[in-house]
Amino acid sequence: MTLILAVCVAVILAVCIYLMLGRELKEVAMGVFLLSHAAHLSIIAMSRSPVLSGAEGHDLKSAPILGMGSQPVDALPQALILTSIVISFAVMGFLLTLIVLTGRRATTLNVDDLAKEQLPTP
Amino acid sequence: MMVSSIILRTSVRLILPLSLLFACFMSLKGHNEPGGGFIAGLVASIAFCIYRMSFGAEALLRLLPVHPRVLIFTGLGMAAVTSIAPLLFGLPLLTSRVGTIRVPLVSEPFHYASAVVFDTGVLLVVVGVSVGMIMRLSEELE
Amino acid sequence: MTNHWIILFIIVPQVTGILSVLLMNKIRAQRFIGTLSFVFNTVFSIYLLLEVRAHGTIFVSQMSDWPAPFGISIVFDGLSGLLVAASSMVALGCYIHSFSLMHPMTQRRYFHPLIQLLMFGVNLSFLTGDLFNLFVSFEIMLMASYAMLTLGAERRQLTQAYKYILLNLIASTVFVIAAGLVYGLMGTLNMADLARIVAEKTAPGGEGLPAGFTAVSVMMLLVFGLKGAIFPLWFWLPDTYYTCPISIAAMFSGMLTKVGVYALARTFPLIFAHGAGHSMIMVIFAISAAFTMFLGVLGAVSNHEVRRILAIHVISQVGYMVFGIALMTPIALAGCLFYMIQHMVVKSALFLCCGIMERYAGTDDLYKMGGLLKRDRLLAVLFFVAAMSLVGLPPLSGFFGKLVIIQEGWHIHWWLSVLGLATGALTLLSMLKIWSYGFWNPPKGQHVVVPTGAPRPRMLKSGYFGVTLLVLTALFLGFGAQPVYDIAFQAGEQLTNPRAYISAVLQYDIDAPPHEQLAAAEHDAEVVDPMAVVADEREEATP
Repeated sequence: MTLILAVCVAVILAVCIYLMLGRELKEVAMGVFLLSHAAHLSIIAMSRSPVLSGAEGHDLKSAPILGMGSQPVDALPQALILTSIVISFAVMGFLLTLIVLTGRRATTLNVDDLAKEQLPTP
Repeated sequence: MMVSSIILRTSVRLILPLSLLFACFMSLKGHNEPGGGFIAGLVASIAFCIYRMSFGAEALLRLLPVHPRVLIFTGLGMAAVTSIAPLLFGLPLLTSRVGTIRVPLVSEPFHYASAVVFDTGVLLVVVGVSVGMIMRLSEELE
Repeated sequence: MTNHWIILFIIVPQVTGILSVLLMNKIRAQRFIGTLSFVFNTVFSIYLLLEVRAHGTIFVSQMSDWPAPFGISIVFDGLSGLLVAASSMVALGCYIHSFSLMHPMTQRRYFHPLIQLLMFGVNLSFLTGDLFNLFVSFEIMLMASYAMLTLGAERRQLTQAYKYILLNLIASTVFVIAAGLVYGLMGTLNMADLARIVAEKTAPGGEGLPAGFTAVSVMMLLVFGLKGAIFPLWFWLPDTYYTCPISIAAMFSGMLTKVGVYALARTFPLIFAHGAGHSMIMVIFAISAAFTMFLGVLGAVSNHEVRRILAIHVISQVGYMVFGIALMTPIALAGCLFYMIQHMVVKSALFLCCGIMERYAGTDDLYKMGGLLKRDRLLAVLFFVAAMSLVGLPPLSGFFGKLVIIQEGWHIHWWLSVLGLATGALTLLSMLKIWSYGFWNPPKGQHVVVPTGAPRPRMLKSGYFGVTLLVLTALFLGFGAQPVYDIAFQAGEQLTNPRAYISAVLQYDIDAPPHEQLAAAEHDAEVVDPMAVVADEREEATP
């Protein structure tokens, strides 16, 4: 299971590096958001969950909650991920707004063209 | 952007109350089980967003007549008050108080936790932030 | 010692921020409560620091009453206390300065709530005792700084903001991954607990640190280095500080990089600079300090715009702090801490002076300035004192910071000390450049806003007040260096020998014989095993 997660992280990282190297602001933003997902998955993989390591008495169907399976799962990595998701949600909102704002002023969202273009100041 | 599909409109009328109810359920369930204010807030705001997509911005304003900013600050205020209150009793910030009280006319004792108020605050903040964000962004795109 | 009131450093800015959104259109009321909040933070932190100095107390508060390694600890010791005091002071000065020097339209755009949010993040990152909470507070601070950078949304602001935001987002992601790795490797994120585990494992006869610990250390170095703008991760800094409104630039230059350096100074001596990678990390620190110091000042000498000179100088002075960390002796860390707080105050004061100078000349280009000495003696005096403090002429504050670091460095990395002295000389050169072009030269150019001999514009009164406040603080740090150094030495001692810190945060005596410790731990476990509590609650709830 950890191997699957590792492959997922690798694929996501590859995708987001590809996106971030693009010249469109929207692509770059998408790449950065994906990056945080890769980080969250890697935290899950680090959490030494009995579900992931295939310990006795655990299958993927039982919820990783105290009292529902035979063995409780450490809740802290999930708390970390939730916190991190909230933060990346907020940053995503801000960055998207900024891009929309730039898009309203400029005719293009291409990074190179944007650097050349003279935007009107309000 | 507005999607004018009769199927979507009809189903949204059903989905909206159901998802709001589900959000309430999630936020109450969060005390001991998966759920909680943040998730409930997301569920509710998704419902509002679908509503806005199918009926447009004015309809959403009629449904939710307060400015999102008000929601955010009520929520933040609730969270701040419940987190600061324990300081006055000599306890650290955010300490929650759990107990049971008997309500007259109800046979079962009522289990309460002061963290519920905090969680409701979180719910309001999440709804306010995401609805506000979607409203502004979709205004820009229209 | 438990003191739950230290959380007020975080709560007060937060509540003030909420209130000032409610008072959105009443600028005077917003200013009033904002000033009140910063004054409160300054006074309260100085009050607690007196206690720290007298008894060496470490104030601790455990959030939600969870015992230490499980919950989040808030710790107020010498290191975080001095930084909180200095940052509150700087915030106060910059905030008052902004009343008259920031465009009213910009002030209406959520500037007042944002500055409180920024202080919320900065104070939380100084006070928190938890690695993941440090990430959260970084993010709070960065969110506020993103929004403040784009206040007004001018073109060059927007393009610079993308650079800053994207870099910091990537750094934050690396931080999350590194924090997850730390948790996976060590099983805890509490800094005191981590320090305890690291000390136990690296002690003679210990089992050694887990494989991969050095990789985590380097990731952390990367993240904090980017925030602190050390070589070679500094490239974002000059342009970013160049574009935003001057009061905000002053605040950023005073605080944001220092938060990164603080994180280095806190976590590396305690946790990450141990184990197999120790010597390698120390070499990285030393080389990075050398390049940061020297290349930073070279950049400053070659520029002729005041803002750019000051911004690039931030980098050069971060180099001195990293130099202090690279030595990692108690005295050097104390010098690093002292240098940090004096730099926060002095650098912000210089930026604020620059704001007023721009008002006179209409630009910050030195070639178009001149004659300010005749026009405005008060400004000239303020600028001179601040500049000489930055250079480090005795008996001004910069001297004591540099003295301790360079003297201590002489035995360990003498070449860094020589480089530090050379950097000091070049700093003097660049400051004299501003002085002679801006103040001594005859006035020139048609950009002059205020004619010669005219009284100072009345509207700038609060601007002068802000600068004076910070310059007076800088003078105090110079003439009253002894009491500050008392606290700084304590802090340096606690960083290199973290027994006091660990005992205070984990709330048991680390020096006690093992069986007593075990008993205490069992006692703790009995009272508050979180799993047991949750299980009890469940049983209660579902009969």
